[in-house]
Amino acid sequence: MTTARAAAIVLAKELRLEFRARELLTSTIVFALVIVVLFSFAFDPTAGESRRYGPGLLWIAFLFAGSLMLNPSFAREQSNSTLDALRMAPVSPFAILLGKMLANLIFLSFAEAILVPVFAVLYNISLVGVAGQLILVLVLGTLGLVITGTVFSAVASHARLRELLLPLLLLPILAPLLIAAVESTGALFAETPSLDRAWLAFLAGFDIVFLTASWLLSDFLLEE
Amino acid sequence: MKNFNFLLAAWMAVWAVFFIYELSVASRVSKLRDDIESLKRQLKE
Amino acid sequence: MIGARMKSRVPITIAAAALIFFAGYAALFIAPDERTMHEIQRVFYFHIGLWTGMYTALGLAFVGNVAWLFTRKPQWDWLGVSSVEVGVASCTGGLITGVLWGKPAWGIWWTWDARLTTCFILWLLYISYLILRGLIEEPQRRATLSAIFGIFAFLDAPLVYASNRLWRTQHPSPVLFGGPDSGLDPRMVRVMLIAMVTIVFVVLLVLADRYRLEKLRHELDELQLAADLRSAAPNSVASKELS
Repeated sequence: MTTARAAAIVLAKELRLEFRARELLTSTIVFALVIVVLFSFAFDPTAGESRRYGPGLLWIAFLFAGSLMLNPSFAREQSNSTLDALRMAPVSPFAILLGKMLANLIFLSFAEAILVPVFAVLYNISLVGVAGQLILVLVLGTLGLVITGTVFSAVASHARLRELLLPLLLLPILAPLLIAAVESTGALFAETPSLDRAWLAFLAGFDIVFLTASWLLSDFLLEE
Repeated sequence: MKNFNFLLAAWMAVWAVFFIYELSVASRVSKLRDDIESLKRQLKE
Repeated sequence: MIGARMKSRVPITIAAAALIFFAGYAALFIAPDERTMHEIQRVFYFHIGLWTGMYTALGLAFVGNVAWLFTRKPQWDWLGVSSVEVGVASCTGGLITGVLWGKPAWGIWWTWDARLTTCFILWLLYISYLILRGLIEEPQRRATLSAIFGIFAFLDAPLVYASNRLWRTQHPSPVLFGGPDSGLDPRMVRVMLIAMVTIVFVVLLVLADRYRLEKLRHELDELQLAADLRSAAPNSVASKELS
């Protein structure tokens, strides 16, 4: 079985599981919304401040909500010992990892698709004209989050305190991604929106580096 | 000498960090050595 | 009661002490005075030395991590954890000296410039590595998973630096020494090298001791296993063979 086919099967399984209950998705969206709302209480931003700090707030919300959402990725397998069954299947470990990464990407993108318009309304930021470019930035940034997050979910699933450990491992690693994503988004929210190619290239580079590392280390990651 | 306090504090900080760490390692090493010796003696009986 | 092992360490310890004293002397008296910051600038020599020490240690950690994954020899795991711990110590020193330099030189304790931010993130990253190790009981799995995280952390380090550099080029922070390598007085370069060599030497010494600690732990575990087997089945062949 090819890697792509195996990954597609794992992806389908993950999606089916989630859309039956939808609890992960709703919790993630609500949590991110809470962060967005709390920000307005904590900082009471003016219009200019919203524009300035908006991107940072948005990505912090995604990062925090994302790292909570990524936990069950492997934790679920742990409690049901389903990972052993998966391992025995004649598929490469990377296929399993890839399937889960894609599933997480879809879940998080879903959440973002709802959160970004809500955010734009709450903070009076116009997304007209930059929507396409914003989607590009969101996809590249979320990819990085999901790639590293899925790997670390596998790592944390074998440790104690995994709900606390995953963000602890993930957030420092994602610091460069956060900077790049916030800067790119900020450039798009500005008075004269522009697409910052340097930061976009950085995001793409980040994704490639960590996807490659995941591929090279996937055997070790999912071993007994 | 201007700002001597800070210079001295920095100097001490540099070596304190390594010294304290080395002390903690060394004390654990000697304790382990004792444990190993006692276990070896125990096994010889 | 000084054993043979202790005796062989005396020359190295004396060498280290001599280097430390010489480096201090050099920093205080050989290095020339700096125009704007005067005395406090001398912290710079050790500040740079600590960064060098940190990168050396973290480089060794990366080697250990990769080697463990491919050879599964415990020695590489011992190298991994020892180098990360010493690397974190060096980084801590770097952060402290940075703060103690910043306040008198520029009036602020901290600033989010590229170098400081990078050092802080790396510090957090490798402390996470140590926390991760503490939370996994089983030794093989602990070694494998922390090796994977260690490799990710090492790959992240240049990205952290690059992103912070690019970020700070766009939004300059209030202060920065304008690149200490740009047009340094040759005497300063010499003292800097002395400090770097000294600190790397100390880092390697402490690393060796920490490595020894892991090795002894391993030895203790093996002996404990033999003792447990012995008490469980006193006349079995296996327990006799192990002891």
